Amino acid sequence: MIRFADFSFCYEGMNEDTLKNINMEIKDGEFLLLTGRSGCGKSTLLRSLNGLIPHFYPGETKGDLLYGEKSLLKMLPSEIAGKVGTVFQDPRSQFFMTDTTRELAFGCENMGYEREEIISRVEKAVTDLELEQYLNRSIFALSSGEKQQIAIGSVYALAPKVYIFDEPSANLDHEATKRLAGIMKKLKSAGYTIIVADHRFYYLRDLIDSVIYIENGSIVARYTGKEFCELDKTLRIHKGLRTVYPEKEIDNKQDDKLAVKSRLGGHKLKVENLSFEYEKKQRILDNISFEASPGDVIGVIGHNGAGKTTLISVLTGILKEKGGKVYYGGKKLSPANRRRLSYLVMQDADYQLFTTSVEEELTLGISDVDSDLVSGTLDKLALSEYKDKHPAALSGGQKQRVTIGASLIKNSEVLYFDEPTSGLDYDSMIRVSELIKELSGGGAIIFLVSHDFEFITHTCTRMFDLDAEKMLDVNKGNLQMLAKKYFA
Amino acid sequence: MNQSIREKILAVSFHGTARLDPRLKLLLLIILGCVSFFINGDIPVLLLMLSVTLFVMAGSDPGWGIKMLITYLVISYLNTCLRYLTIPVLSLMISIFGVTVLKMIPIITLGRWVIKSTYMDELTVSFERAGMPLTVIIPFVVMFRYIPTLAIEYRMIRNTMRIRGVSDTVLKVLTHPFATVEYILIPLLMRCLKVSDELAASGTTRGMERENKRHALLKIKFGAKEYVILACTLCLVIALFVADRSEIGQYILWRQG
Repeated sequence: MIRFADFSFCYEGMNEDTLKNINMEIKDGEFLLLTGRSGCGKSTLLRSLNGLIPHFYPGETKGDLLYGEKSLLKMLPSEIAGKVGTVFQDPRSQFFMTDTTRELAFGCENMGYEREEIISRVEKAVTDLELEQYLNRSIFALSSGEKQQIAIGSVYALAPKVYIFDEPSANLDHEATKRLAGIMKKLKSAGYTIIVADHRFYYLRDLIDSVIYIENGSIVARYTGKEFCELDKTLRIHKGLRTVYPEKEIDNKQDDKLAVKSRLGGHKLKVENLSFEYEKKQRILDNISFEASPGDVIGVIGHNGAGKTTLISVLTGILKEKGGKVYYGGKKLSPANRRRLSYLVMQDADYQLFTTSVEEELTLGISDVDSDLVSGTLDKLALSEYKDKHPAALSGGQKQRVTIGASLIKNSEVLYFDEPTSGLDYDSMIRVSELIKELSGGGAIIFLVSHDFEFITHTCTRMFDLDAEKMLDVNKGNLQMLAKKYFA
Repeated sequence: MNQSIREKILAVSFHGTARLDPRLKLLLLIILGCVSFFINGDIPVLLLMLSVTLFVMAGSDPGWGIKMLITYLVISYLNTCLRYLTIPVLSLMISIFGVTVLKMIPIITLGRWVIKSTYMDELTVSFERAGMPLTVIIPFVVMFRYIPTLAIEYRMIRNTMRIRGVSDTVLKVLTHPFATVEYILIPLLMRCLKVSDELAASGTTRGMERENKRHALLKIKFGAKEYVILACTLCLVIALFVADRSEIGQYILWRQG
């Protein structure tokens, strides 16, 4: 059992407590979901459970935090290591080894187990979590979902009683999310205590025993799993929570009149028999053809490895096509022309921030800067007060808005978004969705690669299905078909 | 079924010299790296490069060895051609640059091979056995782990630079070399900071800071084989120095025509 007894925490150098007077009990074998808006203190709570607080992230604690009879605050992270296992948000940055087998053994090796013990623990993890196919592979060749499974395996081999997951679905597509739910189900039925913090939680709806809702560092609401799943919609939106049943959002979908109307005028983007393959003769894209009009917001969908990212890379001109043509307004475009025309908002904003201030960032690469346009854009994106700040000091959502802002200044006519809602809470998701709708209303053509069903339903007017290689309208029928794929 | 999982866990992807103790590999890297800078004769240097190539080829990576040997020969020849060009200052500068590159090639050949052919856990364990403290080992392992990702991160950054129209053409790179480096370095350093922080947190929760004796997945030992190879290397080093000081060292191998 874990018990928070009037626990508060203040990070070093901060004026206000990030966690305030937390009182709660987590029973053995309980499946607990922590939720709340970005920055509410969820991660801080998790960090205090695995010992990173107060040893790795220093600060001042008040009250106590008990694991059984012992205080977790008095234990070093290295003592907690075999008891509480943590799976972090970004699967890319939690690997110490370069191959999968040794990554699975990493924790056990640190614990100082004998060779035979290490081998049998890794063997158990591989058998129980069905990881055999991933053994002896290079970490860098795995997809995000595969990396995460290895990360869970590595924790599993240490045999902790408590599992902590920090936004585990943020970097996963829907298939990997489904597998993650499967693994969690296994862990739950084996009697482990599981604590998950996440913004998207539809995949946990059959697993959750209880839910804690955090606001400004305090617990403001507690629900049982059933109560939480039946939460009233207005209350849910008021609390900034994503839906538990994304497929039900289909019923609220209205036909987007605006997009249909604006489809009449402006330059069209036409793709004819586009093909691409990497060196090893694996055809990724095979004779793709479609047409997109201004005002279209096109969700690119398809199974993992169908070539969603490749399609975007070819269309933006980062990769050169192996066959086929791309036209804009009737003119054929070379990759260099396409780069000039397009703008790509990457999933990871850190790769896109080059300068030392937000204002400078927006105008980078532009020769004649219109200062009114810049200040207007800053206003629109609620970034005015940060204009002199270093982009690295902003939050994830703000960084993303800076990169979107740069596209507004560049006045790109075709925009591409790669997983724009990964790790965003409801409010930020809606804000991105509104911003995209505004851009498309202004006559831009927009492509989105996203696995976020709720977001697609809210935002897209059309979908390009790479599996069937055809363009679909976003209507109830097509969404239901997609929902079947995602949630069945 | 279970037997086969066990076999897969214990499978070894490296062979020959690649399975030598990591301590020996690093020792060789240091010794041969120094030698490369202290000998000058064309023939001794070529012999050194040949030995390094053969050593690497005997350890899982023949393609890399050959590639670097060819690179070495080509640069040697080009560098020689420069002697017959007489542009004041410039040809001297390029020649000095060429010689430096030549001296680095054996080190790069061996260095990349060490990184690619060593299991990380064996590196940690062998360092620990050699009595190094964890505070030295952990940064070293993190560095080794980070090097292969640099290429990936670099490509991501270059791609976004091209989309943003920042240093996207050869002309812009040549006219603004410092700005280009800055635009690459800023996101790269930001990523480094973030990744190293997350890596450390992830390692900490899995007991990385524990000061107990560790065992690697496969047995490792600084044994007879390692001592024999070390002895051979020392003989080679002595032979190279002797040759370098004798007439062989004076012989000019690379000439035009």
